[in-house]
Amino acid sequence: MLLKRIQPMAFQARRLYVDIMFQVMGRALQAVSEVDETVQNEARALPQGLLFEMMVMPEGPRLIVEHIGDGHFHYHGQSAPRPVDLSIQFKHIAHAFLVLSFQEKTSEAFANDRMLVDGDVSYAVRMTRVLNRLETFILPKLIAKRAVKEYPANLHLPEKLISAARIYLKVATNFVETVRP
Amino acid sequence: MSQKYYEFFCPVKVIAGKAALEHIPYELTGLAAKRPMIVTDKGVRAAGLLDPVIAACEESGLEIVSIYDDVPPDSSTSVVRDIAGIYRQEKCDAIIAVGGGSAIDTGKAVNILVSEGGDDIAKYSGAGILKHPLKPFFVVPTTAGTGSEVTAVAVITDEKKGVKLPFTSSFLLPNAAIIDPRMTLTLPPHITAATAMDAMTHATEAFTCMAKNPLSDAYATAAIKKISQSLLNVMDNPKDAQGRLELAQASTMAGIAFSNSMVGLVHSLGHATGAICHLPHGLCMSLYLPYVLEYNLESIREPLGELLLYLEGPEVYSATPAARRAEATISALRKLRDQLYKRCQLPRTLKETGKVQESQLDHIAEMALDDGSIMFNPKEVTLEDARSVLRRAWA
Repeated sequence: MLLKRIQPMAFQARRLYVDIMFQVMGRALQAVSEVDETVQNEARALPQGLLFEMMVMPEGPRLIVEHIGDGHFHYHGQSAPRPVDLSIQFKHIAHAFLVLSFQEKTSEAFANDRMLVDGDVSYAVRMTRVLNRLETFILPKLIAKRAVKEYPANLHLPEKLISAARIYLKVATNFVETVRP
Repeated sequence: MSQKYYEFFCPVKVIAGKAALEHIPYELTGLAAKRPMIVTDKGVRAAGLLDPVIAACEESGLEIVSIYDDVPPDSSTSVVRDIAGIYRQEKCDAIIAVGGGSAIDTGKAVNILVSEGGDDIAKYSGAGILKHPLKPFFVVPTTAGTGSEVTAVAVITDEKKGVKLPFTSSFLLPNAAIIDPRMTLTLPPHITAATAMDAMTHATEAFTCMAKNPLSDAYATAAIKKISQSLLNVMDNPKDAQGRLELAQASTMAGIAFSNSMVGLVHSLGHATGAICHLPHGLCMSLYLPYVLEYNLESIREPLGELLLYLEGPEVYSATPAARRAEATISALRKLRDQLYKRCQLPRTLKETGKVQESQLDHIAEMALDDGSIMFNPKEVTLEDARSVLRRAWA
């Protein structure tokens, strides 16, 4: 009986968590593309104007970023200005939660058929590398190790801390700017 | 609670063995098909491989309404459109693809157009676009390696845009795969070796990469056992019909395994090398397999060690200490490659191919990094890692 009452709240909390994580990740993708050269080099190979979406099927939370050129991303929020070019789609909110709560690595989620790629697979591979790089910066090493296939051996604490601080600052600024009327 | 999860799907009816081709009329009738079209290439026709297929159908009063035998090695959107036009004009109601990867992929793409309508195959490109079952579709493989007869993927070149269009849908899977030893009996030695090593790589990567699962494992190990027991016998005695059948079945089994568990870095490097240096896919697989296994070794030590049982048999397996089995597996594969080199000069290094320049290695590494299969490799691969594997594979 108690479980029946708690379950809808748990589902709602899970959806809210995924929604918030997408908002953070979208802004963080923009931020990391402004501070990290490796991410910029990865992104430069993407066509300018490419719209990338990460979403939960069928009409769940989503994040949309655009490659605006020279390796920089722009976060568009939940709505795209035109049809997206590349979409990574979680089949269910539960699968998105597994990945975004770092219980399952992105690569494992692909291997476990939790997500689909609609668009050029080579761009999806590149975006996965960008997401991995982002996670290694913004997550504590212990958690980042659960999120990525292999934690980079050449990422040392000072670089990680400085980059993470710059990313978080940019994410916070972006949140304030977009929330302000 | 276990975090393990997997999916496995293979609805293809496998019709294998002696006089398997003679089952085609019955199977087509069961799907209410009376006017089949054959899609094949000139090489298959010239080798006389269509004759037993046609004879098997005609003997049962089933007329092959049309034969298209001009599928190029890299099939294109215009070829697909032309074949679909002939299919409609001749009022065909089923497709039989006879050949290797290209003829089979073309058959799959033609089936999309004749089932869904229209002339532009490009608009069906991508994953999950198809929502309905297609027309009856049979595949008769004439090589024992690609496993295309049991994969839900087709790749067709859009010659106008100069890009390869991928098509992914479970509806692309044929209704039946007909594995008849007569179809591979005349395969030349180097193609026999390369395609068998392609199947060996499918099975090995299926068993060691990230999406491995109990069902694909069963197919993968059985395929490896069949190849290791039959390949050299067939190389020494090409007319060994039983050995040919074993290799053909192994190829299908490896295809079922990898289409349900994906592949890894061997394929990423192989796809890139094929695109840049125009080397045959099977050759690339054979070439890179041991070097990639060495690179992945510490991530796959346990499953790789298990494969020794299927490669070398129970005596060698039990005599090898558990801690040395993974290395022994790689040695067994190297030994097999040496034997193939002795018999048909199947290259073991990039240098031995004579078609790759050392200056191309960086380009291959960069392209491999964007290949979809790299996602399923058990170990993360950086550009420098890919370069280092290529340097080891050079000579």
